[in-house]
Amino acid sequence: MTTMTKMKGVATAFSFAALMSVGGASLASAEDVTLTMAVPDWPPTRIMKKFFDEQYKPKSGNTVKLEVDFIPWPDFYTRVNASLTSGEQKYNFIVSDSQWLGAFVEGGYFRKINDLLDADPEFMATFKTIHPNPLNAYSTYPHKTENYYGFPQFPDVLVNYARQDIICHDEEQKNFQAKYGKKLPCTGEELDAMTWDDFKNVGEFFQRKKGDMLAGAPADDDFYGIAYQAGKGYDFSSMQINGFIWQMGGDTWDETKAPKGQAEGVVNSPAAVAALEKYLSLIQYMPPVAKTGTMDIFVSDQLFREGKVAMNIDWIGLGEASLAADSKVKDKLVFGQMPGTMGADGKMVRWSNIGGQPFVLTTWTTESQTKEAVDFVKWWLSNDIQHQFAQGGGQSAVKAVYEDPKYVTYRPWNRAWAPQLDWQKDVWHVPQFFELLTQQQDQFDLAITGKQDAKTTLDNIAKFQQDKLKEVGLIE
Amino acid sequence: MTTTAQFLPAPPLLSPVAHNWKLALLAGLVVSVIAIVLFPARLSVSVVGAMVALVAAAFAVNAYRRRYYGGLLVAPAIAVLFVMNIFPLLWSLGLSFFAYQSNNQSIRFVGLNNYIKVLTNDIAAPANWDALINTGMFVVFTVALQMITGFLLAMLFAKQFPLRKYLLILVLTPMMLSVVASGVFFSYYYDPTFGILSYVMGEITGNQFILMDSKVGAVAGIVFTDAWMWAPFVMLLVLAGLVSVPKYLYEAAAIDRVSKARQFWTITFPYIRGLLMLALLFRTIEAFKLYDLVYILIRGGQDTKTIAYLITEIANEQNKTSEGAALSYVILFMVIVLTNLYLYLANRRNQGA
Repeated sequence: MTTMTKMKGVATAFSFAALMSVGGASLASAEDVTLTMAVPDWPPTRIMKKFFDEQYKPKSGNTVKLEVDFIPWPDFYTRVNASLTSGEQKYNFIVSDSQWLGAFVEGGYFRKINDLLDADPEFMATFKTIHPNPLNAYSTYPHKTENYYGFPQFPDVLVNYARQDIICHDEEQKNFQAKYGKKLPCTGEELDAMTWDDFKNVGEFFQRKKGDMLAGAPADDDFYGIAYQAGKGYDFSSMQINGFIWQMGGDTWDETKAPKGQAEGVVNSPAAVAALEKYLSLIQYMPPVAKTGTMDIFVSDQLFREGKVAMNIDWIGLGEASLAADSKVKDKLVFGQMPGTMGADGKMVRWSNIGGQPFVLTTWTTESQTKEAVDFVKWWLSNDIQHQFAQGGGQSAVKAVYEDPKYVTYRPWNRAWAPQLDWQKDVWHVPQFFELLTQQQDQFDLAITGKQDAKTTLDNIAKFQQDKLKEVGLIE
Repeated sequence: MTTTAQFLPAPPLLSPVAHNWKLALLAGLVVSVIAIVLFPARLSVSVVGAMVALVAAAFAVNAYRRRYYGGLLVAPAIAVLFVMNIFPLLWSLGLSFFAYQSNNQSIRFVGLNNYIKVLTNDIAAPANWDALINTGMFVVFTVALQMITGFLLAMLFAKQFPLRKYLLILVLTPMMLSVVASGVFFSYYYDPTFGILSYVMGEITGNQFILMDSKVGAVAGIVFTDAWMWAPFVMLLVLAGLVSVPKYLYEAAAIDRVSKARQFWTITFPYIRGLLMLALLFRTIEAFKLYDLVYILIRGGQDTKTIAYLITEIANEQNKTSEGAALSYVILFMVIVLTNLYLYLANRRNQGA
């Protein structure tokens, strides 16, 4: 019987402990609201947290705490995915890549916000001041319908990072003019006017061996003209290749045309093949790491900051690093829009894949948390805070903010921001996003490392997408 | 143990005493099945958990009353093993017979379809077979290089020489580093712009050298890094064997003027054979799970995807949980067969010797 008594004692202790914890939770003041957020660890999210802690005063009079998990970028998707699918229901807010929407909405994790927008005209008004391209990419699922989920956290586009000290050098200017019969782009406006052919010329022109003359002095290491993402990881080639394909008249599988829209015949159309060939033809002028298929956005950015490249196409999100103290090029920069393709009508076509991330609410967020969250988002998207965010190195998709003449003075790349917004598109918000992406990245990697030609690559991708999307009913 | 168990007779099946584990097991099963059928998943999980606790408690009381203290003492270890290892293992085995995606609430029994899919499907199977072949290749190359290097290092460090102690610590360091740290270190080492390897090769040959631009180079890079990390482990095991060889055997052999090679095969080798086998076993099992270096160094490019890499992609990134589970079990099966083969060969040799 002693055992029984002991066991009873233990059981009593346990239930007492349980009571204590439940009681403790209910005793906590109803005025305290904690919002938990999963974000990638980089300046745009650090700034948001800083602004919140320093400036945010909830209108409701409650004490609102923002608890932020800063997760390193390379782990971000895996960690968020694991947290959501495990059902731990830890986060109220999640910074999400736009393409994750489908998978996580269908999974029942992301909260639809139409009711919140309808209930609050002021919120709706703020929401509608966001440029339609980022709004569609970051918030709508199914894509481009009026079903809203997210708010821009850090909107982003690809821009051209260039070394002014190299490209504006008189000697280089003269030699370039003599070789190509065209002026070597030097100012921001001249960079804006570049086509991919001009970009290729820059790549070819600036291939220098160690000891060759470069901008009036012998190069201390091999130097390269151009770089862009050509990496196998995550989406580190698709985001560049999509732009090429759209600019040159090809297309990716268009989810808004489902289930009629096809993948075969579209994804591997002759225009798309020509575009991929163009993309691949520039890789020979890039730093040699491109041939290993590991030149992702971080590697090309590092090469640029270390002064090995004259021009690099990369996200604005990495811009702050190029101005940081340890950047070897921090005082030598000029920025322009990503190169375009000259259309038949003589106008530049500039389609590009949108970057950046929205943040979304999760379905288990309680009513009181949701109320505070909406107030927080309204505050976040208010002109004043968006201006401050942009001044601190962020970007804003709110019209009144980026159209303000002051906006372009905040950062050197901001001049490329507003004109690029009109040319942003996005791919696949469908739940099969990750499967489509990994297969495509694998295939692009084969092409980038020279194992496979453009036609075969796109044929393989088209076939896979056709089969996969047919299987799940997105293609009839 | 058998004598102490006699103190208390086993109770009849339906007797409601605390040590009647058979009744607890029966009740637990019945209640669990009812809960699974009737309640929503969230509630039934808790009910099943409570039933498992009930059965465990009955077992514990039974062991205590019948003075089966040995069993009681190992019970916590078994409980942890069950919760952390055996239960997830069985759970994933169960999942592999269902169509289940972790980001999707629906689940459907599909029998062996996942296994058939990972082995024969037009879209999925070729990648799996490629990854399997790559895994086999990495197992052979990394284990062979580690065994040889580790063995030679052990032979070297079995001798006494100046600074031996410090060099030994230095040689053991790679094993203690995290794989990610070593991976990042080597990715810079191999980098064609910043890396020393390309710099040195460039100076020697005059041409640009890019290690990772071909499959051969990428595999060589990964194998070398893995060997750099794990050869010290093999060395440590072999060294333990080498120092355990009694000195007098060598002295006797020297008196008999036995050649060095003969000394090695008849004296040294029998002492280290078991440990070599152990090292081989550990390293082979580990090599089957190679993922980290392939990811960090080349992101699975240049056709270096291993099966572990593929499973991570399928199960963790694409959320195809049950398909990933099925593939994992195929690998588990292969590893078990292979290790048993090893052990069988090792035992047969021992008996033959």
